[in-house]
Amino acid sequence: MSGPGAVQTGSSWVFRVEAVTKSYDGETNATDGLTMEVAPGEVYGLLGPNGAGKSTLVKQVIGLLKPDSGRITLGSFDLVEDPDAARQLCSYLPQAQMPIDSFKAREAIDIAGMIRGGPAAEVKRRREEMIEALEIGEWRDVLGARLSGGVKRLVGFAMVTVWPGRVIILDEPTNDVDPLRRRRLWEQIRRMGSEGAAVLLVTHNVMEAEKSVDRLAIINEGKLIAEGTPSSLKADDRGRLRLQLMLHPGNSTPELAPLVRDHVRVGNNLVTVIDEDAAGAGIVWAQDLLARGVIEEYALGATTLEDVYVRLTGHKSESER
Amino acid sequence: MTVPIPMIGVLPAKRTGPSHWWHGFIAMLRWEITNMRLLLPLTVVVQVLFGAGFVLGIGLFFEDIPSRAALFLSTGATTITLIMVGLVMGPQLVAQQKLEGTYDYMWSLPVPRSAATTAWITLNMIFAIPGMVVALLVASWRYGVDLEISFAIVPAVLLTLLTATLLGYALAHAVTKPEVTLLLTQVLIFGIVGFSPINYPQDNLPGWLAELHEYLPFLPMATVVRGGLTQGLVSNVVQSYVVLSAWGLIALGLVAGSLGRRR
Repeated sequence: MSGPGAVQTGSSWVFRVEAVTKSYDGETNATDGLTMEVAPGEVYGLLGPNGAGKSTLVKQVIGLLKPDSGRITLGSFDLVEDPDAARQLCSYLPQAQMPIDSFKAREAIDIAGMIRGGPAAEVKRRREEMIEALEIGEWRDVLGARLSGGVKRLVGFAMVTVWPGRVIILDEPTNDVDPLRRRRLWEQIRRMGSEGAAVLLVTHNVMEAEKSVDRLAIINEGKLIAEGTPSSLKADDRGRLRLQLMLHPGNSTPELAPLVRDHVRVGNNLVTVIDEDAAGAGIVWAQDLLARGVIEEYALGATTLEDVYVRLTGHKSESER
Repeated sequence: MTVPIPMIGVLPAKRTGPSHWWHGFIAMLRWEITNMRLLLPLTVVVQVLFGAGFVLGIGLFFEDIPSRAALFLSTGATTITLIMVGLVMGPQLVAQQKLEGTYDYMWSLPVPRSAATTAWITLNMIFAIPGMVVALLVASWRYGVDLEISFAIVPAVLLTLLTATLLGYALAHAVTKPEVTLLLTQVLIFGIVGFSPINYPQDNLPGWLAELHEYLPFLPMATVVRGGLTQGLVSNVVQSYVVLSAWGLIALGLVAGSLGRRR
């Protein structure tokens, strides 16, 4: 199968996770029967709150952890049985910063490319191209120790993708990156997909993911609780609006108006879902709450993937904090 | 001009064999050398100060140091600088990687782990040499000891360093929690400097501890190094090589075991 955004590359492989279960303590499962497929050309988002099992899953893919049960395959390669093959075929950007304090940015990218098996001349050419695309040229010869967190993150991305594996695993790639370069980074992530890699993107920034992934899975407490394209996941919310109420700190949840179809409270943020034709009544209700000092402010808007995410996980995503 | 990414189409064959190993070794050696660049001058200075300081500091215990004690101290301090690099500094660096969260990236790289390990060990061994040489020079200058350096110093230093580095490497990778690794290295420093017959003769220790040291690697390390630096100071050099080699093999086994380990 291939995702909606997948490019027909003539590739004959699929990245597949089948019923992967892993427990650290023998009691609770960090990943609990996870199953998913990512095709070449597809950017696949892995969303979930902290501790949901996202990083545990990618560490099992890359051979840092061993599943208690289940299979992870890439074409004919069994990545659990053959972690050497997993490391050759998958590139991994961990959530932590790269250990490049002693490296000039370009050196870090070059040596990483060399380690990944790229020929020196081609690695250098691609390094220059990535530096330009990510707009980090002014730091080309600056030591990692003197780079800001965001630039270091971009250098890390270039290190991982300068000579990439077939599966590119990016764990929170946009952390610390400024909004302008974030856009460049997303362009490059999309480009990796269009060049034929399967990109597995771990994030808890739902709004960014919504714009950039072909498909996504929402994971909570080790289980896959929803999967599909961003628009298919929002299908249930068609014809509905989100009415977001910011409660005064310390206030309890007010009595909900009958027009509220669904709601979730995270901290002082009460997100409700109402029907489109109840918008007027919703505003009247919110203004009444405002007048009575129950809430500080409210906002009415189209439902987003964020709403689906919050409803399913009960957590706010990074993009809403 | 856009450089195409070489990934379209069928999956590549898995890379194996000696040339893949060698490529991985060279690439990781380059990585480790660059990685140590900022730290290297400081590390060497600390090593040098440690070796020299140790030689001079212990000398303060004596008003007039007997020549045999001076010889023990000079050769012992040399041995200790070697052990410290392998068994203490190495694990501390790995623990640091774990604390910073960079350990996972290093372990996810597509090179044979034996190649990455060999690169790490090679570099650790090279780092140890300056401190050792300076400790020896300072000792000769301070105490005027007559060293009779023979070619045997080469295998002695290599085996001592290799065994210490392998043991340190196994300790760093087998112990999951970096905090525990750091604590253990502190205990090791205490035990090696204070209670190992490296700077003084074995007879100075209580009987049971002297006996125990027959089976631990530290006394054999000191003995083989002394065998290469002096004539007639130590007698059981061959036996020490045997014991030390056994420890080297044990450490190699532990390292091999820790390489393939996945939690």
